Amino acid sequence: MTVKMTVQGGLIYLTLVFFVATIIARRGGWRTIGNAFWGTGFVAAVASVIWRGLHTGHPPMQNLFEFFLCMAAALWPLSVLSRRHNGLDTTVQDALLGVLILMPAGFVFGEDVRRLPPALQSSLFIPHVGSYVAGYVLLARAALMALPLFKRDIAGDRLRQTETASRQTATIGFVLLTLGLLLGSLWGKICWGHYWQFDPKEMWSLATWLVYAGYFHERMVHGVRAPRVLAALLWTGLLFIVLTLTWINLSRLFVGMHNYA
Amino acid sequence: MKKLLNRWTGPAPAAWLCWALALGAVVLAFLGAERAGVWMARPIMQVGVAFLMLVFFFVGVRAVLRRRFDSALLHIGCACVLAGWLMGRYAIRTSTAARPCTGSMVMVDGDESDRLWEGPMLDQYVGQLPFSVRLERFFVERYDRNSDDRNAGRNAPVREYRSRVTITEPGRPPYVVNIRVNEPAFVCGYHIYQMSWGNSTDQLGRPVVYTVLQFIRDPGLKLAYAGFILLLAGILIYAWRIFRIQGTQPREVPA
Repeated sequence: MTVKMTVQGGLIYLTLVFFVATIIARRGGWRTIGNAFWGTGFVAAVASVIWRGLHTGHPPMQNLFEFFLCMAAALWPLSVLSRRHNGLDTTVQDALLGVLILMPAGFVFGEDVRRLPPALQSSLFIPHVGSYVAGYVLLARAALMALPLFKRDIAGDRLRQTETASRQTATIGFVLLTLGLLLGSLWGKICWGHYWQFDPKEMWSLATWLVYAGYFHERMVHGVRAPRVLAALLWTGLLFIVLTLTWINLSRLFVGMHNYA
Repeated sequence: MKKLLNRWTGPAPAAWLCWALALGAVVLAFLGAERAGVWMARPIMQVGVAFLMLVFFFVGVRAVLRRRFDSALLHIGCACVLAGWLMGRYAIRTSTAARPCTGSMVMVDGDESDRLWEGPMLDQYVGQLPFSVRLERFFVERYDRNSDDRNAGRNAPVREYRSRVTITEPGRPPYVVNIRVNEPAFVCGYHIYQMSWGNSTDQLGRPVVYTVLQFIRDPGLKLAYAGFILLLAGILIYAWRIFRIQGTQPREVPA
């Protein structure tokens, strides 16, 4: 646990303060002020991504630190779009997610600058990592949105609205997950010589993809009659994502070709 | 019989198949890339993959008959990817010294060769290419040394590895290509990759820099890419369908 005494650290902590202020304001009933904090937090998050990009001189997606910064910056647009689409206000849980994402970026990961190795100098770098950033954020939000489905007394319109919102969010996340997997596969062919090499991170991403594929099949079987199963599956998917991001990246157990983080 | 087949290829067993495959993927992740690759090269696993491919294909064709085109594209796309992978494995199995599938060559500036090698020391002969390669020059370019590098007393990290080679195909005048990481060359069905490099000494004890080029021929690649495109099209149509049917009204949710 280290505090970053740099401009980068300052921007991250500023974003964190705005996100926490959003949560406090919204829970306290000040809706407009909360939304203003939420938007300002987004500006701060984007500023920290841009600062990082200028500082390193390459797209800030090389390691987990930069990946998490991008995820925090992707939250606000996704939150606004989803509210517009399905009418469910998720600002508080999105801000909470933002705090959870920025905590490791602010206090755990180091901010060493590493120049881009030849393997990462590709036009597929931003599309591949970018679709995973947005996809993971959307799938995390889908899991959070599905939380009310665990309640025993949920029924009728409320059940349907919650289920629809979480399923639509998961669908877009799944599209991006597929895109990221296929682009990664294509990049693997161009860079490493084969489109599938049974690299541990590849296998965990495939397992994550399969969990969500199973969720969509399960939804076809039961419809909305088994909301708890669907919510549990979305949370299993999120567990796989968290494992992919943390354990697989940082553990020495899984040695593979994705060792850039 | 038909009812039974429909039940066993419906979404409920498919969900279970997804869990099973996810579990299998996790097990392979624990094995590590190398052992997982060896394990997947066994005939029993390839029979399993072929069976999976047939199931995907069957489900896809049935979805076409039922006018569920997103499902059809997704399942046939998966079948195509698996078929492409199997084609690649079959090509490796049936490759000969006259038409090898994968192999590498170590070269220093000025070397010319058409023979491929494999193994950890690249000392096992694999076969002969239908063209020959001459290494004009191997470049290693580094970033500018910055203050961090000077403080740590090290060289700056490498920015680019590049092998400039002359390719001589039969029936064509020789031509020069640059092979970089992320920028393979494509000659006579072979992708040529900048795979590795290192420092060594020649017979007289003078230091030389060598480059390792990897040659890969994969006849199933086009099929796998076709599968990628089908999968992507299918997933986009699926997402569009979900948004169109349900619309922005939360109440209209079909079961």
